[in-house]
Amino acid sequence: MTATDTHIDAEEHHAHGHDDHAHSHPSDRTYVSIAIILAIFTAVEILLFVFEDDINRSINKIALIGLMVIKFYIVGAYFMHLKFDHPILTQLFVFGLILAVVVYFIMLSAFEFNFWNDGFCDTGLPAELGGDDFFANENCST
Amino acid sequence: MAATVVTESHDAHDDHGHMETNTGMSNNKLAMWLFLASDCLLFGALISTFLLYRTNISDNSEFEEPADIFDIPFTSLSSFILLMSSLTMVLTLSAVNRDDERVARIWMLTTAFLGMVFIGGQVFEFTEFGEKGLYYSTNTWSSAFFTLTGFHGVHVSVGILMLFGTVFGTRKSGLGKEKSETVELVGLYWHFVDIVWVIIFTIVYLIPIG
Repeated sequence: MTATDTHIDAEEHHAHGHDDHAHSHPSDRTYVSIAIILAIFTAVEILLFVFEDDINRSINKIALIGLMVIKFYIVGAYFMHLKFDHPILTQLFVFGLILAVVVYFIMLSAFEFNFWNDGFCDTGLPAELGGDDFFANENCST
Repeated sequence: MAATVVTESHDAHDDHGHMETNTGMSNNKLAMWLFLASDCLLFGALISTFLLYRTNISDNSEFEEPADIFDIPFTSLSSFILLMSSLTMVLTLSAVNRDDERVARIWMLTTAFLGMVFIGGQVFEFTEFGEKGLYYSTNTWSSAFFTLTGFHGVHVSVGILMLFGTVFGTRKSGLGKEKSETVELVGLYWHFVDIVWVIIFTIVYLIPIG
């Protein structure tokens, strides 16, 4: 066997590796189906917005956030291939995501976060820390 | 001797044609995911800031609530276009893995075009807001809104540059299987920009105040 033969074998092995990789991902048809599902979810979101007055406000918000989370998961799992890739990539991304959610939820809680009711109410903090009426909402009880 | 060297060299490669690593995957891919994870913190800060000021649109302006100024049908169309650009991006990678260079270039340029349409829509929306008297410094709501959506727009614009850079930067070297990882990394960034918009569209545009 010459050096050239060995090199060609290695190239074939290399190319085969790529084929395996390609087969581990969904087909184009699956991708189109996923995109149609995402489009349907987006349409449902818009309908929820259009008919918001006819739907209980809390249910409307929960439904919108639920659809948002599902769309997020679908794009991440299938289009970004997290479902098929090494689990460490999912762990890395989810860690960043959870860190962001926890950090900013704590930050918002510090301002008496009242997203489900009246927006933001008086924080009770001194003025130099952004308190008093700075975040006050007309719907807040005083 | 030469044969031994070549064989060893390829043994040390993984399926993607890259050097073996401790994690068993490409360092470039790991770095991209690390960057995306850190970008979650950036957008987390911007979204949180917007949530803090989301009720302040009436300060120094004639608008009582965001619904008075948003054009939801128009923004919905923009969102749909960005969502479909994720489909064309993933079809690009699929074509590259099939070694179908011509189709890969068409899908990639389509992705860039859809991204430009989205940016065009955002520029139009910002211009409309300005004509209605809502500028960056009008109130805390507008500052938070323009900062959040503007940063997202910058991310989309960088993604468009990455797409064009990949299409035109590979004119001589080709856009075959050997470029699979490059296209995948660009795709990861593009899909991330898409999922961030999924969150922004719901939280900023669709969820009512109160």
